[in-house]
Amino acid sequence: MFEPAPPPRPGAAPTRAISLTGVTRVFGAQPAIIGVSLTVERGEIVLLRGANGAGKSTLLRVVATALSPTYGSGVVLGFDLASERDEIRRRTDLLTHRTRLYEELSAAENLCFSCALHGLDPALVPEALERVGLAGVAGERVGGFSQGMRQRVAIARTILRQAELLLLDEPYAGLDGDARRVVDQVVLAARDAGRTVLLATHEPTRAGLATRAMLLEAGRLHPQPVPPSRSGVLR
Amino acid sequence: MSSLRLAVAVAAKDLRIELHGRHAAGLALPFVGTLLLAFGLALGPGRTLLQATAPGLLWLGLLFASTLLARRAYEAEAEDGALEELVLAPVDKASVFAGKAAAMAVQLLVLEASVLVMVAVLFELPLGRGIVVIAGALVLGTVGLAAVGSLFGVLAVVPRAREAALPLLVMPLVTPVVVAGVKATELAVAGRGGEAGSWLGLLVAFDLVFLAAGTLVFEHLVEE
Repeated sequence: MFEPAPPPRPGAAPTRAISLTGVTRVFGAQPAIIGVSLTVERGEIVLLRGANGAGKSTLLRVVATALSPTYGSGVVLGFDLASERDEIRRRTDLLTHRTRLYEELSAAENLCFSCALHGLDPALVPEALERVGLAGVAGERVGGFSQGMRQRVAIARTILRQAELLLLDEPYAGLDGDARRVVDQVVLAARDAGRTVLLATHEPTRAGLATRAMLLEAGRLHPQPVPPSRSGVLR
Repeated sequence: MSSLRLAVAVAAKDLRIELHGRHAAGLALPFVGTLLLAFGLALGPGRTLLQATAPGLLWLGLLFASTLLARRAYEAEAEDGALEELVLAPVDKASVFAGKAAAMAVQLLVLEASVLVMVAVLFELPLGRGIVVIAGALVLGTVGLAAVGSLFGVLAVVPRAREAALPLLVMPLVTPVVVAGVKATELAVAGRGGEAGSWLGLLVAFDLVFLAAGTLVFEHLVEE
């Protein structure tokens, strides 16, 4: 599913995927994350927990460069969060419960457009759809798909992208058992390929996927232990 | 990917969405048709008055249609967060703007062909005498309307903008297009198309200004 992770950028910290220092993001007068300092090593799967509104999505979007930090700084995959956004975007993929697909286009058309945006070979699209079990509906409109099928199309896009850093924001939301297993397979395949995953989820049963857990409470980040018996093992 | 190929990919995507969904054709064309019919009925059967007002009504209809098309172009981006996919793509956002403007221009040109026929029939507008100048004005006006609509259409879907932000911003901005378009059309219909050069020049200047503005500003509008 994933090729082995490419070597880090020359001159960058060889083992570090994410390094945030005192990152705060404010919406209007309301802070969403406050003074977040986070270090994630390459190849780690870090579970991000927290109640609704704790700031998980904001943190993932800051790392993905969809949002700029109001204060603080960061380096992602060896690139500066503020000044090298395109380099980070080239190497990261944000997968959320909003699938970012066009309803009027077919699954294949959506993925071909994504290939155009990311300079990928559209000939790989059929294989990616095959991997998520949607080869038979490649030509059908996404607007007629269930949430689970849409999420599979988004996962196929993630497979196509082969990003070094996967940012998964509640990827299990609204999915049935089969679709959840596809998400699990993506996380495990990314781990096996030495890629880095930051996974924000409410799902307690997914703790076994992670090598480390963090808790966001009211915008502040705290370390949270993963039980050693479950660490790195999918339950 | 080169900027041109990216712009073509974005334009093809937008046109494919329209071909599948027919939102613009199903909304803008009936709207403009109804508008023209209502004005025609309100003005009464006097042929002279209908012909005198036809150029203005033609361009007003196109102005309203362009606002609807701009809104629809970005609603498709907002339906399932697809705009974020565009924002997070490591590409030149000016090419995205160019692609969206090109797709909107194509849709407007198709719409204009139908609207022109409606105006000619409903208002007995003699198109034959100045059809080249009218077509030139429509093409140039279309580029301007598409540039402004694609630049500010994003305001229709950003959470912090009010629903009325798009028409309130776009309509005053494109006033020069409407004025120049109406004047050029009036001159063409009156058989004085040769005198429309300055109005066509204004349309060219408007196009250049807003294509340049879109190229420079679009990234700042879509980011965050």
